[in-house]
Amino acid sequence: MDREIDPSSVFASIRAERRNRAASFVLDVSLEAPPGITILFGPSGAGKSTLLDCLAGLVSPDAGKIIAGQNVFFDSAKQINLPPQKRRVAYVFQSLALFPHLTVGQNVEYGLNHLPQTQRQTRVAEILEAFHVAHLRNQKTSQISGGEKQRTALARSLVTAPRVLLLDEPLAGVDAELKASIVHDLRAWNAARRIPILYVTHSRDEVDALGERVIAIDNGQVVSCGAPMDVLDAPRRKRLAQASGFENLLSGKVLDLRQPDGVMRVRLGGTACEIEVPLVHASTGDRVQIAIRAGDILLAAEPPHGLSARNILEGRITSLERRGAMMIAHVDCGNAKFVAHVTPGAVRELELGIQKQVWLVLKTHSCHLVD
Amino acid sequence: MTSLWLSFELASCVATILLFLGAPVAYWLAYSNWRGKFLLESIVALPLVLPPTVLGFYALLAMGPRGPLGKLWMTLFGHGLAFTFTGLVIASVLYSFPFAVQPLMVSFEAVDRKLLDASAVLGAGRWRTFCHIILPLSVPGVITALVLSFAHTLGEFGVVLMVGGNLAGVTRTVSIDIYDRVQSLEYAEANYQALLLLVISFAILCFVYAVNRRAWTPWTAK
Amino acid sequence: MEELSRQFETKTASRVDVTNGSSGNFFAQIQNGAPFDVFFSADIEYPRKLEATGFAEPGTLFEYAVGRIVIWAPHDGTVDVTKQGWNALLDARVQKIAIANPAHAPYGRAAVSALQKAGIHGRVKAKLVYGENISQAAQFVQSGNAQAGIIARSLALSPEMKAGQIWEIPAEMHPPIEQGAVVLKNGGNKTGARAFLDFVKSAEGREILEKFGFTAPRGN
Repeated sequence: MDREIDPSSVFASIRAERRNRAASFVLDVSLEAPPGITILFGPSGAGKSTLLDCLAGLVSPDAGKIIAGQNVFFDSAKQINLPPQKRRVAYVFQSLALFPHLTVGQNVEYGLNHLPQTQRQTRVAEILEAFHVAHLRNQKTSQISGGEKQRTALARSLVTAPRVLLLDEPLAGVDAELKASIVHDLRAWNAARRIPILYVTHSRDEVDALGERVIAIDNGQVVSCGAPMDVLDAPRRKRLAQASGFENLLSGKVLDLRQPDGVMRVRLGGTACEIEVPLVHASTGDRVQIAIRAGDILLAAEPPHGLSARNILEGRITSLERRGAMMIAHVDCGNAKFVAHVTPGAVRELELGIQKQVWLVLKTHSCHLVD
Repeated sequence: MTSLWLSFELASCVATILLFLGAPVAYWLAYSNWRGKFLLESIVALPLVLPPTVLGFYALLAMGPRGPLGKLWMTLFGHGLAFTFTGLVIASVLYSFPFAVQPLMVSFEAVDRKLLDASAVLGAGRWRTFCHIILPLSVPGVITALVLSFAHTLGEFGVVLMVGGNLAGVTRTVSIDIYDRVQSLEYAEANYQALLLLVISFAILCFVYAVNRRAWTPWTAK
Repeated sequence: MEELSRQFETKTASRVDVTNGSSGNFFAQIQNGAPFDVFFSADIEYPRKLEATGFAEPGTLFEYAVGRIVIWAPHDGTVDVTKQGWNALLDARVQKIAIANPAHAPYGRAAVSALQKAGIHGRVKAKLVYGENISQAAQFVQSGNAQAGIIARSLALSPEMKAGQIWEIPAEMHPPIEQGAVVLKNGGNKTGARAFLDFVKSAEGREILEKFGFTAPRGN
């Protein structure tokens, strides 16, 4: 009989040091992933893959604990270290790692060696159907398309009824439509089973499409966790900001703090521009980094009045180009350079063009302080 | 042509034995991270640089009544190891060892590590991963190892000369036979045998490489 | 040969280079132009053939020694060869007997002939192992892989093997092993070559040969 999977969370608190010729990298994280999809988000090199390797048992951390439900996978204090074979963790690599000399059917069957033949065949048939690759059963994996490979890889991992599913950028390089359909299949599968799924990505779109929870990782450490909006729209790390789509990253110096108003004035480096940003724990004279979304910047063709926004900067458009349904405007405000997004309609109506004098409007809370 | 047949027999035995002996060594060399790995690699590669007579000489001593191998054999079987077919097999296995290990090692190393990881995560132990993933993906290496050790043993002279004793049908391989004929000034006979050996060896190699085109990996020591 | 060369060198202040190898090989090499001055062979047939085919200086061929064979075993061997002679070879404890290859080595042919004369060839044939030359046969016995062997007397008297047990095989039991030498046509130093041969023929030379176990040839 198939063993019951206890639908419970994964807890991991580990420290792992990886030394190679160039540098050493320390992963030091503490996280919890309940049943459902948890996104691990961060720039490349942040340690996400290393974390997954530790959870799967392919890499042994130097210290800490990894527990999935009632099962202790790793405990350095008690000297417990379950090999990957015993953890029943499914792991889909970025490169998929499909066995090239085996067919789709044989690949999917691979993890079911412990089951009798009939049960094996039923399970395999079921999952091939669920992921729409049943018709490819006897094809060698080297002969199927990219999307079909991804489905096969997912099917191969999920047929073993794992306790935890780890996905390392599984949909990189797949077009949007295909992505959506694979995600849909994955969701459907998990609705019935409810296991923790850790999904690593550095693509903002995937977070938006999938995210129930996001854990942001940078430089081997957990930076923040919570709902996607909280984590990604208020990024606290510069690299995270860049990864999450903050086109403007400016450095500045704190001029003075205005506690009662909850703001502080910052002079943007190398310019005379001063803006108001939310108050953080800082002192006058500190250097800070500010991230602003291009979509959060308003342009005015004439000096605006009566706005709630505290930051109005005068500048000149230095370039204007179209990208898809949007226009990207580069504006120079006394040496402070901004990128703003406007609609083509606005460009037409306001008669925006290169060298045109404009006024930038920035809400205080659109300015995010990052490290 | 007893001596030709003997040579083929010897080469086949040695090639087969080397596959089973060489695979674990190649596996260890391919996947181990021990810093002292280079020591084993050097030991394995020794027969490549040692003159066969040196190997033969030490083999003769080792098989003698004062040598470790000889003593063991005497207690087990009541007679010596030198001048026997088994003695030749043992000496040849040592002599052709790197010709089997190196192609195998290169092949094993070339297998994508991620595949091995995937296999482990899917629940396969090391033995299963070896049989179902590593070996099927290393077929060119296996074939190269077999062919090279076969061919190398076929052409062996120095080692057989040192420990064989030139017994017809037992240790008189074709290379020894040809040498003997030359010594006895029987040039025509020698030529005939040499030509026969050349043609047959070439035919075998052609067949193997034609059938398995990817097997033409001139092994490179990494 | 070393001793002969050394003595000659001190006497005449000229250099002698000795190359050791099998007669068969040298025979082939000389015919293909090898630049040796003198050729000493354990089997006089080779120098004879060279003279007949025109590769040797005419009139220089001479028999420099007669070889003798002995039964040899290491001093700590399983059987007492010195006492038992032929019977030692029949002993069950002697599992392998090394001789030179009779197909092309004169010492090997002599050994087989002696065994046949002694009437035991049939019984020991299965125990025989063949060395490429007499030195290899000696090596087989010395390393212990063969318990006894029939080797050249000269070898048995050499420093490494002197300590072993020896039983001299009477010369009548095998055809004489005539060792011959000849000056080669292709050599560079013919006068030196002839001088060396003269030295070997001289009383001094003969003394050295005897010391090393070679009997003087009859006549000559």
